Amino acid sequence: MNWRIVRRVVAKELRETVRDRRTLVMMLVVPTLLYPAMMILAQQIALVGQRRLGERPASVAVAGGDSALSAFLRADTALRIAPADSATVAAVRARTVEAAVVAAPAADSAGTQGVRVFFDPSNDRSRRAQEMVSDRLDAWGDTLLARRLGGAGLPASFARPLAVADSSVATAEEAGAYTLARFLPFLLIVMTLLGAFYPAIDLAAGEKERGTLETLLTAPVPPGEIVAGKFAAVALIGLLAAAANLASMMLTFQSGLFQFARGGNVRFSLPWSSALLVLAGLVPLAVLFAALFLGIAVRSQSFKEAQNALTPVQLAATLPLLVISLPGIEFNAAMAAIPVLGLAMAFRELMGGTATPVPTAVAFATTIGYAGLALYFAARAFGREDVLFGSGSGVAAKVPWRERLRGWRRGGRRVPFPTEALLFLVVVSLLYFHLGSRLQAIHGERGLLASQWLLMGGAAVAFATLGPFDARRTLGLRRPSARALAGALLIALGGLPIGWAIGWLQMQSGVFRIPPELFGALEKLVTAQSAERFAWLLLVTAVTPAICEELVFRGVLLQSFSREMTAVRAIGGTALLFGVLHLSGETAIRLLPTAFLGVLMGFVVWRTRSIFASMLMHFVNNGMAVVIVSAPALRKVVFSEAGEPSWALVAVAPLALAAGAWLLPRRAAASDEAVEMNR
Amino acid sequence: MIEFDGLGKAYGELWAVRGLSLRVPRGEVYALLGANGAGKTTALRCLATLIAPTEGTARIEGFDARTQPLEVRRRLGFLAASMGLYARLTARELLRYFANLNGIEGAAAEARVEDAVGRFGLETFADRLCGKLSTGQRQRVSIARAVVHDPPALVLDEPTLGLDVLSGEAIYRFVEDARDRDRAVLFSTHQMSEVELLADRVGVLAGGRLAAEGTVDQIVAATGEPNLARAFLRIVKEAA
Repeated sequence: MNWRIVRRVVAKELRETVRDRRTLVMMLVVPTLLYPAMMILAQQIALVGQRRLGERPASVAVAGGDSALSAFLRADTALRIAPADSATVAAVRARTVEAAVVAAPAADSAGTQGVRVFFDPSNDRSRRAQEMVSDRLDAWGDTLLARRLGGAGLPASFARPLAVADSSVATAEEAGAYTLARFLPFLLIVMTLLGAFYPAIDLAAGEKERGTLETLLTAPVPPGEIVAGKFAAVALIGLLAAAANLASMMLTFQSGLFQFARGGNVRFSLPWSSALLVLAGLVPLAVLFAALFLGIAVRSQSFKEAQNALTPVQLAATLPLLVISLPGIEFNAAMAAIPVLGLAMAFRELMGGTATPVPTAVAFATTIGYAGLALYFAARAFGREDVLFGSGSGVAAKVPWRERLRGWRRGGRRVPFPTEALLFLVVVSLLYFHLGSRLQAIHGERGLLASQWLLMGGAAVAFATLGPFDARRTLGLRRPSARALAGALLIALGGLPIGWAIGWLQMQSGVFRIPPELFGALEKLVTAQSAERFAWLLLVTAVTPAICEELVFRGVLLQSFSREMTAVRAIGGTALLFGVLHLSGETAIRLLPTAFLGVLMGFVVWRTRSIFASMLMHFVNNGMAVVIVSAPALRKVVFSEAGEPSWALVAVAPLALAAGAWLLPRRAAASDEAVEMNR
Repeated sequence: MIEFDGLGKAYGELWAVRGLSLRVPRGEVYALLGANGAGKTTALRCLATLIAPTEGTARIEGFDARTQPLEVRRRLGFLAASMGLYARLTARELLRYFANLNGIEGAAAEARVEDAVGRFGLETFADRLCGKLSTGQRQRVSIARAVVHDPPALVLDEPTLGLDVLSGEAIYRFVEDARDRDRAVLFSTHQMSEVELLADRVGVLAGGRLAAEGTVDQIVAATGEPNLARAFLRIVKEAA
């Protein structure tokens, strides 16, 4: 690595960035000026609002009760007592009065008088009036109680056997640290991300769009130095943005401008050691974002395309961070290994002064690891001429929309573009999750059957036949050889124990917890007590998904991805979507095993080009679950009592996978395919 | 010396260029003429080490673009229609940056920058951001950038695309000057007038292959057509 060149590239990129108003605003102006100003302003507005609320007496109507209660309330200047005939629900709803007090007739000396307060919780003034009136009524109740006790010759303490008082043992600094730890990590990470966002796009896709990348790459500098320089610049900008934000936030809090902090024995401060550790953690995070964004942006043809590509990544990186503000989320090693979120939780612990060494170290180490992977991903893109000078990954860049529409009108027979297939998947998913879940809720297993055949399988066939597509190729309807089917079967059987092992290891990690009642319900669902039930279960859980889901995933989706992407991307993308769409609230644990099965099935279909091969695999995979659960003897062979898979089976599984792969046909050269695709 | 020897570049089934062999010695200006998609840019990008040839070689001063890309780039001045200027650098900063990337540092770099500023008449706008310059000014900065390291070979990919006559003239003067300085110049174009004005020799690319080569007069005479434009059309049609 020629560091002199890297320094030149970094210096040039930083110089350009400093002159870019948009990046500069995101990097420095927002965190240092606008952001604290907005926080103070928001607080001032809230205070003014509260003050205004407090300036005007609350309008309350009182009906019923004795004159003493009415007199007690009238004596309070913070209340304006309206005529008794306004003490109605209608008057409160019409906002004629802010609250209405309706008291039952006064009770005798030992009885309880009922008093109801009507208010509108959707109206701030009404809520405030209710709070005030309730306070006054409590006070009036205390007065009455004291009178009764006095009349009975009892002391006031008679009715108050316990005097409870809360007393915080936290210092003002600790209370402040707790509050900071709930939201500052989120802000820091978001600011690091935003700081790197625009520079990454500008330095990669922007350069391509302006034609400067071509010029730059004709300079006698290895691509590695250029990537390193650009990446270092983006990471540095992200880091600067985060550091500026951290410093600005700390100064704002410590300035004492926040009135709630002054009143409530809370002091915002961050020990230097924690601040330095947080900053140290931001370094690999900035590296991760910089490399990831650069790697994605350079695969886009224009600034706009890169923005579109990066926005979902941005959301995926930030939305899980909301978890850190939730109480009761334990910071353990498994949580620490989750990208971005793990580090955010480590920041939370560091700022709150409760950091434990192992998860913190895991969070730092895994972030460094992810950053390394992202860097490799970015460097690979810069070394690829098809990414830099080809039409890139942008589908739109390859075939203009106008041409596609013309093709649609002419009814040319082809395999769908990935964008078309993804749109189809979105529609199918929405229908399946909304309409399908209702069908299942009403009709149970029959509903499941109907939703699979109608909303998945039927939809895929309709899409392939009614659109301007070659239905046979779109759905991968090619007859496989017996040898290929044997290979698919071996791979399915080899994949089973590995899938179980993945599920088991996930359970052991402690991240996933399946409620025992859900486990029991699932087991009951697929346990067959009779031959008829067994056949029905096979139809519902094995045959139907094998046909319907394969038509969607290895059919429409994989076939369309295959026309534009490399095998790894097409198979991996399909498998990931397959895994994600099998998720539900309690069964997040299914993601990895399902995606793994998706990879195996995708690989087989890629090699055989036949969806029938993956249908067989899907059937074997799901059918085995029914067989194993229904046959206790077999179950004992493959699982321990605790549900641990047989490691002997897991050990021989790779042999089955290898043998299966050997039996599969080799896929024809890409060029032949291109010819076929373009026909 | 610029050399192509059996150069071929395939994208999947499609050969963008195939079997291209030609030589451009120092002091010669060679024009690659071809319709859109004929393979001109692909051939020049192979030479500029931006893409790797599928077969054959592209060399500058004996260095192979595939196996010795850095040596080739050191000896290459590359100019594309997009100009490739950084909008938020001044002309002077841009020249200094490219001098640095070419291994020229410190006082030597400053001397090269000032030489280029003077030679291409950039004095009045050398400290303005490139993004604020006029098209003609940007063209001059772009030329200066391509030669700030004084390379022996110049490759110009449709350098006058989108330029008016006045702006184009800067390119013409630059090419003639390069020939006088004993540089090998290879440029691609589909402007017949440019070829007639500048080129010592012409190669006509059609369907990715070199369909004709020679001086303008030789090519016109071989086809029996009255001028280069008609000769070009005939060659392209016959090659199709």
